[in-house]
Amino acid sequence: MSNARKLFDEELKVINVGLKIFYEDLKRQGVRAVQVNYQPPPKLEKELKDKLSELL
Amino acid sequence: MGNEKVTGALVERNLMRDSLQLMKISEELKKLDGVIDAIVAMGTETNKEIAKQLGLLLPEVEKAGDSDLFIAIAAKEEQSLKKALEKAKELLSAPISGGEMEYVDIESALAALPDANLAIVSVPGEYARDVTMKLLEKGIHVHLFSDHVPEEHEVELKKYAFDRGLLVLGPGAGTSIINGKAIAFANAVRRGPIGIIAAAGTGLQEVSSLIHNMSLGVSHGLGVGGGDVKNYVGGIMTKLALSYMEKDPSTKIITMVSKPPQQETLNSILEYAEKNTTKRLVLGFMGKVEMNLPKGLKGRTSVARTLHATALESVRLVSPSIYEKVKDKYTIPFDKLNAMLKPKYEKLKSSQKYIRALYTGGTLTSESLMIFDLLGIEVYSNAPLKGQKKLDDPFKSVGNTVVDLGEEEFTAGRAHPMIDPTIRRLRLIEEAKDPEVAVILMDFVLGYGSHPDPAGAHLDAIREAKKIAEKDGRHLIIIGYVLGVEGDPQGFNEQKRKLEAEGVTVLPTNAISALAAALSALRGKLNDNRVREIYEGYLKASAE
Repeated sequence: MSNARKLFDEELKVINVGLKIFYEDLKRQGVRAVQVNYQPPPKLEKELKDKLSELL
Repeated sequence: MGNEKVTGALVERNLMRDSLQLMKISEELKKLDGVIDAIVAMGTETNKEIAKQLGLLLPEVEKAGDSDLFIAIAAKEEQSLKKALEKAKELLSAPISGGEMEYVDIESALAALPDANLAIVSVPGEYARDVTMKLLEKGIHVHLFSDHVPEEHEVELKKYAFDRGLLVLGPGAGTSIINGKAIAFANAVRRGPIGIIAAAGTGLQEVSSLIHNMSLGVSHGLGVGGGDVKNYVGGIMTKLALSYMEKDPSTKIITMVSKPPQQETLNSILEYAEKNTTKRLVLGFMGKVEMNLPKGLKGRTSVARTLHATALESVRLVSPSIYEKVKDKYTIPFDKLNAMLKPKYEKLKSSQKYIRALYTGGTLTSESLMIFDLLGIEVYSNAPLKGQKKLDDPFKSVGNTVVDLGEEEFTAGRAHPMIDPTIRRLRLIEEAKDPEVAVILMDFVLGYGSHPDPAGAHLDAIREAKKIAEKDGRHLIIIGYVLGVEGDPQGFNEQKRKLEAEGVTVLPTNAISALAAALSALRGKLNDNRVREIYEGYLKASAE
């Protein structure tokens, strides 16, 4: 059932997707983290994808 | 001469930038020689309203749409204006980042940190599901900060995660504390025996900081998002969080903080807690709740109506001796509070009768509204409780007003007021001009994520507000509540000192601050037995 990774009392390792300030604050606290500078997919592409997943 | 001013604006069509970056650019432009004021922002209605208040709603700015970016500047002369506009363009075209641990997609981030166990997601709401699902599929827990996530996406993500024992904290979760680390907007709270589950971001900040300041600590604080306690979600993540806290050996008691859950959801959460937990529970719901405690919870559950009481009761359960030591400081007796405020409210003119509370924290707003309601004070708000009046125009106060500046009408296309103080500085000046205002109440939320110096960023506006009142022969009472702990990046004592140096009254909890505001506006006329009962009664939780 579960492939959930252990979180409590385990070293925190964080992927931050979006606002960079959260990544910077994690670094200040000595937390291992990586930053993803997310760019939304172009609108048209997303609409097509949503339509496709509706059809399939 | 001397007072002359030139203004100019530029609009970039369909250019998106994040509100934090734009705030930083605005600040940088204001520092340039000859620049009087500057705003660089997306063309949302909120931002145009601010431009108007700055006297910078120029015709081209007025025409800008939500997806257009505008630059508007006031300068002393043409040359400075031209230079500032050029500088703005240059800053906007600079690359956003360049660090070595930065990636453009989740796959490459995962390759760089293959054993990641948590993700913070703050992408625009409509994209949150796709991003979050990708992470959940890898077994990674997610703190989902994004707002405006469609309800059906939230339910889908939470059901998927629950079945796999994965936490989805949010959407709209501002705060978590995991393994003693602050996630998003959170304070440097020490570790300890109290586990907190919160469907209210600033609620978690207030309760965890108070517990720390009362010299205890928090095992973990999980923010599940406000939607979780509504019937469309049915408490899915609150339940999983309860299981996590029950199994966690460092958690001795479990404290919940939330606005009142919807009835059906409340019942199902209580039923779940009865079957799946054995630890002591403190239920802190801001507002009126009808609660039928199931048999299995009786005798191990306390109920509190304010954040203040929730923190105190949690401390009392863990350590009666610490509770006895801190009780006096955190439940200032009515007479003592009144004596402290009297010299200030005696200076008020008889026409000054209203409270204006300008909040950045949503749950602090609710707590104060709850207290004014208990005291029978009529208030207007942009986020009123049941039975209270809604402001027609959130930008304009009427009578007693409690305004949550973190609500959408103030944040569309802007950074939250905990980060960007512009909106509140302007509002403070407006309130000071109103001859009927007696007290202004403001929160200063410290911690990771927040402005590096919230008190400092308001000092000029506080001085100006006082000057406006003084010119008109009025004394203005300003009460500031500092939410935070000494270890926060801003330092609690330093923030408190800055405010006090300007004559601001700083009290130990938001609840006491709200009471003090009421007491001042009513010139101590809360002094009767019924009110005493309310004062004493709501501070204590009822141990059932």
